[in-house]
Amino acid sequence: MSAIVEMERISKAYEVARTPGLLGRRGADRALDVVTNFTLAVRQGEFVCVIGPSGCGKTTVLFLLAGIRDPSDGRIAVCGKAPADAVRVGLSSVIFQQPILFEWLTAEDNVLLPLRLRDPRWWWWPPRRARYQETVRQLLRTVELEQFARYYPDKLSGGMQQRVAIARALTLNPQVLLLDEPFGALDEITRDRMNLELLRLYDERELTILFVTHSIEEAVFLSDRVVVMSRGASARTGSSIVREVRVDLPRPRRLALKEDPAFFQKVREGRAALREAQVAD
Amino acid sequence: MAQETLRPTSQVRVPARRSPFADLGSWTIFAVVLLAGWEIGSRLYNQPYLLPAPSQIIRAMGEDYALVLDYARITMQETVLGFVLGAVAALLSAMLFVWLPKTIEDFLYRIIVTLNSTPFVALASLAVVWFGLGITSKIIIAGMYTFFAVLYHTHKEFISVDPMREYLMDVYNAGWLQRMLLLKIPSALPIIFTSLKGGVMAAVNGAIVGELFGAFEGLGYMILDSRYVGNTVRVFLAAVFCTLIGWVLLGVVTFAERLLLPWHVSMARGKSS
Ligand SMILES: Nc1ncnc2c1ncn2[C@@H]1O[C@H](COP(=O)(O)OP(=O)(O)OP(=O)(O)O)[C@@H](O)[C@H]1O
Ligand SMILES: [Mg+2]
Repeated sequence: MSAIVEMERISKAYEVARTPGLLGRRGADRALDVVTNFTLAVRQGEFVCVIGPSGCGKTTVLFLLAGIRDPSDGRIAVCGKAPADAVRVGLSSVIFQQPILFEWLTAEDNVLLPLRLRDPRWWWWPPRRARYQETVRQLLRTVELEQFARYYPDKLSGGMQQRVAIARALTLNPQVLLLDEPFGALDEITRDRMNLELLRLYDERELTILFVTHSIEEAVFLSDRVVVMSRGASARTGSSIVREVRVDLPRPRRLALKEDPAFFQKVREGRAALREAQVAD
Repeated sequence: MAQETLRPTSQVRVPARRSPFADLGSWTIFAVVLLAGWEIGSRLYNQPYLLPAPSQIIRAMGEDYALVLDYARITMQETVLGFVLGAVAALLSAMLFVWLPKTIEDFLYRIIVTLNSTPFVALASLAVVWFGLGITSKIIIAGMYTFFAVLYHTHKEFISVDPMREYLMDVYNAGWLQRMLLLKIPSALPIIFTSLKGGVMAAVNGAIVGELFGAFEGLGYMILDSRYVGNTVRVFLAAVFCTLIGWVLLGVVTFAERLLLPWHVSMARGKSS
């Protein structure tokens, strides 16, 4: 089966602007190589985690896959389309590090936003409006926030806000979900719960998931494959990817798995790869 | 937002939602003390030409109320029309600026900044020359004052929306108008209202300045005319009415703000996020 997410020898360099000085500009324009020679193919239904030290370019990879940034070099496709097109038609969907909810909209209106943007005349057609509102209600039920539909975001906890963001990301029924450290700001217990919820959605909706995190345990617990990145290209592989760790632990995953020796073994492998990634820079 | 929940609760000031009449009592005491002090002071000083007492101002009001109320109505009319025109023009211009290509936006912006640093009084006297001594020139001047008070901050707020929110709109394929209505305007509204409050006071100023430069009616004309004949009491009376107009309009804008911004955090809590 062919890959649903494909990145082939992708490189991304940011232009670092010259420092403006008091008398004209000083210093030269510099290109900062953030991602080098990044090759990754994700099969349909696969759960892939990307980990690496802070500033290694994980968010950049995700932004490339969401079409928010363009690669400097290489070929990239999501669902056989350019990433920006895939995300605009709703084949893929992004969840950012912060929930990015609009504080002037209630939880349900935040979830409704993608539908509203896709169909500007939604309001004038009552049956369609009812259908959309039903969709939103179901999504909020999925993330267990039904009773909080009318709440404004500032009245919700951090975990609840991120769940609203997940519901919003599912509104257009995407095949591919791209997540950037979505639970990074949450405490461990909440994070575990959110992980289980995400795995349930992954099963129910047969999603393909690319999940960025900096926690090895989280990565191993969730994924089928962990991609370990280093800051700058690794001398050994000549690419930003230091190593891939295959996680062939059985599904469905339960929290008890975290006590399992096989789990520890995978975490150890991941940690070793991460050490190599640290050495690389 | 996220940080908010991490702060210890003792540091988050959460005053109970207060009714607009809650501190009416303390204001009344303040006003009574101030007026009494003024009354006593001016009687001791005993120079009505320089500092008339409040009782004298009230007596003048009793004598001239028909004229004063008529003039106040005229000035109010100029102020309101100028404010509405100026505010609408400023909001539309801010939107237009965002819509235009960057180079043209830059160019127009420079014009605005230049005009903004020209003394308004000079522009106001020009407006009287161009539009005559009637009400039109006053409306235009009040509108101009409002326009500059509102445009600068609104435009700045439109272009400094959190880039992650812009990405979110990109990702969901939002059009220009959708982005404006669903993201930029709502996130700028708190600042827009703050600048509208400044704009309302500026509009009162503009209308008065316009009348000072040449008019046959209105509170500004009354100030100028009374000063020529040495009637300081009436100058004070006109000034009091100018202040009242400002308060009334400020109240209207504040009321609209409460109506439109139920989500706005700074109204429910202390100014924190
Ligand atoms: N718009 C930009 N312009 C210039 N440099 C950038 C830009 N965005 C990111 N960078 C740089 O690219 C590098 C990688 O950034 P990125 O945000 O992808 O890291 P990350 O792996 O997501 O880090 P973290 O784990 O802290 O979120 C950093 O050194 C950062 O300074
Ligand atoms: Mg990041």
